[in-house]
Amino acid sequence: MKGVLATDKRGVRELGAEELVGWDEVTHGVVLNSFDLEVENPAFSRPEERPYSDFNSYTATVASWRVIKPVYNRDICIDCQNCWVWCPDTSIISRDKQMLGIDYDHCKGCGVCVEVCPTNPKSLLMFGEAEDPEAALAQWPEKKKKAKK
Amino acid sequence: MAIRSIKNLKEFSTANERFEGAHLLCPGCAHSMIVRELMNATDDNLVISSATGCLEVCTAVYPYTSWDTSWIHIGFENSATAVAGAEAMYKARKRKGTLKDPDAPVKFVAFGGDGATYDIGFQWLSGAVERGHDFTYICLDNENYANTGGQRSSATPIGAHTSTAQAGRVSYGKKQKKKDMVAIMAAHGAPYVAQLAPNKWKIMAKGFQKALETEGPCFINTVSACTTEWKFDPKDTIHITDLATDTLMFPIYEIIDGHKLNILYRPKTVIPVEEYLAAQGRYKHLFKPENKHVIERIQKEINEKWEYLQRREEAGV
Amino acid sequence: MAEKMELQEVEVWDGNYAAAQALRQAQVDVVAAYPITPSTPIVETYGAFVANGYIDGEYVMVESEHAAMSGCVGAAAAGGRVATATSSQGFALMVEVLYQASGMRLPIVLTVVNRALASPLNVRGDHGDMYLGRDSGWIQLDAFNAQEAYDLTLMAFKIGEDINVRLPVMVHQDGFVTSHTAQNIHPLSDDEAYAFIGDYKPVEEMLDFSKPVTYGAQTEEDWHYEHKAKQHRALMDSTVVIDRVFEAFEKKTGRRYNRLETYMMEDAEVAVLALGSTVETSIVAAKQLREEEGLKVGVIAPRCFRPFPFEELREVLAGVKCVAALDRSCPMGAMGTLYNETCGALATIPAEQRPLVTNFIYGLGGRDFSVEEAKRIMREQKGHADVGHITTHIQQFSGLRGPKLGFFESKRS
Repeated sequence: MKGVLATDKRGVRELGAEELVGWDEVTHGVVLNSFDLEVENPAFSRPEERPYSDFNSYTATVASWRVIKPVYNRDICIDCQNCWVWCPDTSIISRDKQMLGIDYDHCKGCGVCVEVCPTNPKSLLMFGEAEDPEAALAQWPEKKKKAKK
Repeated sequence: MAIRSIKNLKEFSTANERFEGAHLLCPGCAHSMIVRELMNATDDNLVISSATGCLEVCTAVYPYTSWDTSWIHIGFENSATAVAGAEAMYKARKRKGTLKDPDAPVKFVAFGGDGATYDIGFQWLSGAVERGHDFTYICLDNENYANTGGQRSSATPIGAHTSTAQAGRVSYGKKQKKKDMVAIMAAHGAPYVAQLAPNKWKIMAKGFQKALETEGPCFINTVSACTTEWKFDPKDTIHITDLATDTLMFPIYEIIDGHKLNILYRPKTVIPVEEYLAAQGRYKHLFKPENKHVIERIQKEINEKWEYLQRREEAGV
Repeated sequence: MAEKMELQEVEVWDGNYAAAQALRQAQVDVVAAYPITPSTPIVETYGAFVANGYIDGEYVMVESEHAAMSGCVGAAAAGGRVATATSSQGFALMVEVLYQASGMRLPIVLTVVNRALASPLNVRGDHGDMYLGRDSGWIQLDAFNAQEAYDLTLMAFKIGEDINVRLPVMVHQDGFVTSHTAQNIHPLSDDEAYAFIGDYKPVEEMLDFSKPVTYGAQTEEDWHYEHKAKQHRALMDSTVVIDRVFEAFEKKTGRRYNRLETYMMEDAEVAVLALGSTVETSIVAAKQLREEEGLKVGVIAPRCFRPFPFEELREVLAGVKCVAALDRSCPMGAMGTLYNETCGALATIPAEQRPLVTNFIYGLGGRDFSVEEAKRIMREQKGHADVGHITTHIQQFSGLRGPKLGFFESKRS
């Protein structure tokens, strides 16, 4: 998974940590270029293939906003993609109809993905930001029985 | 035209995202769900404008942009006109043969919040639609000026508390009804007008695609639940939106060519509006005995509107 | 393809028609406009060109001037040539977007037919709107007659679109006096005019999909200042390109333009500084005074109101004894703009070379400014020069009914 998810550029900077350059170095007309090189329509390229410029927020991280984080349990997931479609932070990484994991550089820990997860038990659960993922998986709850009528 | 297949969510999820993370929208904000879905509904190139507001100030803060497509923001009121200008330039340059890639398919999209759409930018939107520019305007309707701390807009429903229509000892919040923007835009004779919600992702994606495919000006009002100003837990954005659509507070429907109305979603069980109101802090005061009449009025108006929409649909005119 | 128009060597055009012809010859890609008196005929004439096949570009008649400039900004960011026209209240409505256009470095051309600002409502010419635009980051060129309105509109595209400038440009002319007064015009042929301006070269265009661009980003205290400083620098540096374009135009047509126009200043003892059609009135007055009374009077006129010709002005005024700055806009609680700019420039030369400087407010709401009144003012300046100090109020209202209105006096000790 690491090979697909890790790119050299994603989440490399805290917001506000960028270099404050002088008036002679700011961009012409306050214009920001999304990419360093010419690109084909990015609708046809995967994020990991794109030449993101330093101006692209893809290169920044908002991880520090989080106090709780979603942990993903591959064993239960049915790849329904509910979490993908409703993630407000483009932080559910899906490739070829498969959920691969969470982009912790861009996830703000809102918890929407957990709420919309339909499996029983859920394939995503919120844990404290400091929680070790392995430890989180070890304490995953059992399947809940339907309440008897 | 490169409309993406949306037979099911798995297929939809193969989209290559063009709206990037590390934007500054609140955790759980529905704006970005809606924007992502629009951008993922097509493979065409996009030229997007955004009005001043939450979306704009959170996705293009120098030196960062969250947009992988052409994007422009001018002011609070002129998102429609900004993209209309770009669309006019596209037509001129196409005719003159000065485009770098004249065959590249492109769609023009304007975003605005309800402040930009219902209020300050009303005239600009009306003008651009009347002129018939080929673009889609999407209102991210969170029913208040959320970017500046939650002031009333003409999209704020009656009874909601906002910082400029406050609930207090002698006030139940906003006194006026929400403006019916969908009807107003349909009255322009726009070829496609709809009200959609992100919890019904497939209906919304299809509506977006219909608007993008339709030549001429299209208007879509989307309900964008605002965790900060509606006062609910960020994780509950979709739950609250479910309540909005299933209480019929936000009926989901389209109007074709200014007259033909189709209801796009009918809740299996219609939920009493009280449940929707009770889930949000902005309506908390309505549950005091002296404000009960407001809830009754809201429910009554929902029922009447739903009746009206159904009759319009049945009439098929 | 747009039809070409056969033009005579000499045409009889008013200022509005001249500006519309220049827009046609520039082959503008998008004109987004809203009509307003007295610039309406520019938009109407252009519309007639559209209707008769002379225009390939888009002609977008929007619902307000704010939308006109908004459409222009969107169009310009999409990488083509853009122009519009306005006046007065329409200009005021545009102001928000004027700042956006210059901040985004979009070389839009705006032909402004100067008119007074309400209240009270008035359709006649003064410079209230031109002055309202002076901090907006646009290059402001001022035409004193219809020929100049034509010439400067053509040159505005070449200046603004220059890769070293990339700034929007206003071309001002006076409402009615210039815009509606027909005179003999020597136009260029369509081919010559277009060749002079050249093709538009897109920069950071939204329609180049291989290079997505974000226009209109937010900046707060850590970035805004640097961007504004860079923009100011670009406006200051645009003088080099303005001078170059003026020279190229002279080579082509024999018509010479300067950022600061001077008339009879070689030996002038007193001078007036003015803008717009008043310049020609003042030249006639100065000539008469020279011939009839032997007074050495000259006239100075900023062709380029922004960037302001600071150095040129202090140079031409060094050694002059008295100068009157004529402002056709009510400064409301201060001295007039031309007065302030003049004093600012003069404060930087040795005291013994500094002329006395007075300020006249005149011609508001289209009040006529006559040759006789110009002569009276010039004689009065000569009087100040002779005694070595200002004998009247420093700021006076010219051509005003009622008791004499003036403010401030010289401090002589």
